[in-house]
Amino acid sequence: MKKILAILLAAMMLMGAASALAEATDLPRNETLYFGGQQWDPVVGYNPLGDNMNNGLALSAAPRGTRTVMFETLYMYNGLDGKLYPLLADGDYTWNDDLTELTLKIKPAAKWSDGTPVTADDVVATWDVSTKIQNGTYTGYAPYIEGIENRDGAVVIKCKLNEEGKPANPLQVLNFLSGVYMVQKNWAEALCAAHNDDATAIRTDPTPDVVYSGPYGPYFANDQLVAFVRNDNYWGQDASMWGKLPAPKYLAHTIYKDNDATLVAFQAGQIDVNQQFIANVQKLWEEQGLPIATYSDQPPYGICATMPTAWYNMDIPVMQVKELRKAIAMAVDYDNIIENAMTNQSPSFADVPRSVMNPTEGEQAMYDHDAVKDLQWVGKDIEGAKALLDGAGIVDSDGDGWREYNGEKISLKACCPDGWTDWQAAMNMVAEAGKAIGVEIIATFPTWDQYQTVFTKGSQTEYEIFMWSPAGAEPAAPWSRVRAFMSSEFIGVDNNWSGNFGHYKNDRIDEIIKQIPLTTDEAELKALYTEATKIYLDEVPSFSLMYRPECFHAVNETVWTGYPEKDDGDNIPPMDCTDGYGIAALYNLELVNP
Amino acid sequence: MKHTLKNVFHSPRFLVGFIIFMFILLTVLIYPYFVHRDPLQGLGKGFLEPGTYVSVYDTNNTGTYRVELPEAAANRLEATLPVKDRQTMLNYLKAMGADVSGLDTSNEHFEELISAWKANYSEADAKKNKYEGFATQAQRNALKRLDNSLNADTSVAMSIVRGEGDSATTTKVAENDYVKVDEVANAVTLPLGTDNFGRDTLTELVKATGISLLVGLLAGSIATLLGLLVGLLAGYVGGIVDDVLMFIANIFTVIPGFVLLILIYSALGAESRSIATCAIIIGITSWVWTARSVRSQVISLRNRDHVNLSKLSGHSLFRIVTTDILPYIASYVVMAFILQVSSGILAEAQLSMLGLGPNPNELPTLGLMMNWAKLFGAYTSSNAWWAYFPVILVIALISFSLNLMNTGLDQVFNPTLRD
Repeated sequence: MKKILAILLAAMMLMGAASALAEATDLPRNETLYFGGQQWDPVVGYNPLGDNMNNGLALSAAPRGTRTVMFETLYMYNGLDGKLYPLLADGDYTWNDDLTELTLKIKPAAKWSDGTPVTADDVVATWDVSTKIQNGTYTGYAPYIEGIENRDGAVVIKCKLNEEGKPANPLQVLNFLSGVYMVQKNWAEALCAAHNDDATAIRTDPTPDVVYSGPYGPYFANDQLVAFVRNDNYWGQDASMWGKLPAPKYLAHTIYKDNDATLVAFQAGQIDVNQQFIANVQKLWEEQGLPIATYSDQPPYGICATMPTAWYNMDIPVMQVKELRKAIAMAVDYDNIIENAMTNQSPSFADVPRSVMNPTEGEQAMYDHDAVKDLQWVGKDIEGAKALLDGAGIVDSDGDGWREYNGEKISLKACCPDGWTDWQAAMNMVAEAGKAIGVEIIATFPTWDQYQTVFTKGSQTEYEIFMWSPAGAEPAAPWSRVRAFMSSEFIGVDNNWSGNFGHYKNDRIDEIIKQIPLTTDEAELKALYTEATKIYLDEVPSFSLMYRPECFHAVNETVWTGYPEKDDGDNIPPMDCTDGYGIAALYNLELVNP
Repeated sequence: MKHTLKNVFHSPRFLVGFIIFMFILLTVLIYPYFVHRDPLQGLGKGFLEPGTYVSVYDTNNTGTYRVELPEAAANRLEATLPVKDRQTMLNYLKAMGADVSGLDTSNEHFEELISAWKANYSEADAKKNKYEGFATQAQRNALKRLDNSLNADTSVAMSIVRGEGDSATTTKVAENDYVKVDEVANAVTLPLGTDNFGRDTLTELVKATGISLLVGLLAGSIATLLGLLVGLLAGYVGGIVDDVLMFIANIFTVIPGFVLLILIYSALGAESRSIATCAIIIGITSWVWTARSVRSQVISLRNRDHVNLSKLSGHSLFRIVTTDILPYIASYVVMAFILQVSSGILAEAQLSMLGLGPNPNELPTLGLMMNWAKLFGAYTSSNAWWAYFPVILVIALISFSLNLMNTGLDQVFNPTLRD
């Protein structure tokens, strides 16, 4: 009896394992596009109004490139040309003369997954419900948006006005267009009613039966795999949008343990589109001969749109010495960081001199290069840095090889999260620069949990130098980057993910940050940006270590081909075939072996 | 004593272990006299393959020699365009429907193949038509690289220009001109290439091995001394002292040692992590098993006649322990010490691998080398075996040699194992 029971148990376990395997491999490879590097740990839910859904493929909203696989935004941002392309919206938006109201129309063809049309009322409801439950959309945009109304079928977004009766920030309203998912009014109201308007319950409801407007809906999700299936009635096949359905029937993401496991799967062709930093990515095709490609086959292999930056913590007295800040920044060997830490996946600071702009052509044209030439350092200037420190009286008076400030040895920690490879290497090189100029800098790598609580505090004295990236490409850039670098509005704000993590204060720059969004004259704008760049380079509240793509984009062409390629004339940014206007890539994919 | 040593060195296991260990130790000690290089200094950019690197610039300033190698022309062709690539070219020409009659991958038809390629291939055409077998971006990129390599054709006459402007002189470089490598002012041999920071892996490895051995020896000594002290006291004195000491030892036994190690280490912070603190912490978390086995041996010795005799003679506790007990367990302690050293080295490597080793800005360690190799994809994308395999080999060899020495000693000292 016991034996039979044991055999039965074993058989059951085997069958269980087999069915789990079968489920994971059920997706036909030739109809599935696999992603990598976007989903860690199992999916929690599908609620576009909620938070902490941990749903990388469906819910990833950022003005620079919102992932519109399941839910859709009004416009899609394209980092290549810096323009907004209509998605749910019909044609271009219009501002009224004093920039207080933005008007747009909804595409007549746009439909929800239940077949009902998307209307201006849905946009209004998205804002109203967000306001009611105080979710991320509300806290992010409430300082700029007074309200949204349906005016004869058109959506009118009304700007919040400041004390002087001017709009608080029209640029942030543009970010709303490409950074917020629209939800259906009926669904949202039913959800609120089901939870008796309890905000927390609404925000944490996983809503597996949510109504969506995008081309893909939930298929299944477990702790090994999350998959989405194409909605073959998707409204976007209308001629007014894409004119056809996206090529893959399924989008899937296997949940891997870590970057290494992801990379091995990518090399084996189990992942088609991979969003992770791959050291020496060119060796994958040059030495290993794998069918792998990036946006461009020449360095920097992608489009760099952001600048990982080392921030100085002004809460620590010694960091308020401008000469010390500048000296460290001058001594760092940036070419070494770009070649060794980024393995050349970034343009050098000789190619793109440092400023508050990212290396895209659009932004580079927005400041006067000649005016700031004298302030731009290229790095590895050990003698210059030493002279600067000597001049400021920061010298080594006790002969131990390290400089002192006010009689105390300077000892700084340079921090970034553990496991963030390229950043760790960069912090090591900052530490080396310190050694070369006699300033002790110790590279320290706390765990991510610890790191993120410390550097976002309103005030902290634990890290002297630490890394984070300012805003990359988005409708409100480069203004948003100037703000992220230097705006004093973030000083003392706890849980601050927005900017000025080092708590730098400068009254003039605060004025400029206020002025730019209300300025429409191009020459005037350029003058303001040039002045901001001057202040940034002279005061060195932080310094960029490298340029970096908004998201890494490498593809394995074992199954699919037709991915965006530099100079292919399609104007599709390399954004993992899902982010912002990057989703247009899904409509161009073809099978390698049909 | 002499006899024991002779016995020990007659044990083949011990001898092999000893030789391996001494080889590693001597390399660590002697190497710095031959190579004076800061182990953390970056020489190259990123991973460089093992080999000898000769400055192209400096080859201009050396004499040239005539050497006639019969296979020179063939080697040159193979280096310019490997047969594999010629096959790819042929396949592409076929796929695009060009006339490939009379073309093959042999050296005889090399020129024809190249001219056929140059006449037919263009990047824009490949992109536009997406010929079968060459439709994907990766495949077209491969063709582009192949085409670029042809443009850097070495068969084109090469010349060296010295000086600038009017005073410039041009010297033609003939195909049979050779330079003598040791005459070139700047050449460097990197037997194990460089790591992701461009550091000479061999120099770094030797330095790291030295640090590992030091940490291992220190940690082993601390653990053995502590274990010995606790074991002797608990075993010989007994009673309440035994109870208290064993109570502490039991606490240490139930807490997983490595977890404890990580916790203490993370709490310390990078600044205070030196070789000494590393060794001390490993030492104080691993003394327990030595203490327990010493204690049990001491208990069995405690009631022997010669110990009782010493007690009756009124000898002090210290004297009894050092003269009547310690010599009997000395061989065991030596073996325990060797194992402690071995596990100390492994613990250090594991800690460094987690990024918790001695301050990484000042010292290379074996674990840290592996950590960076892993982070920079040495065994995935970067394809750099030299950055991690030698490290693994050294760790394996050290702990293998120490364990071999231990079993060799066991054979000599343990009567039940004696042949």
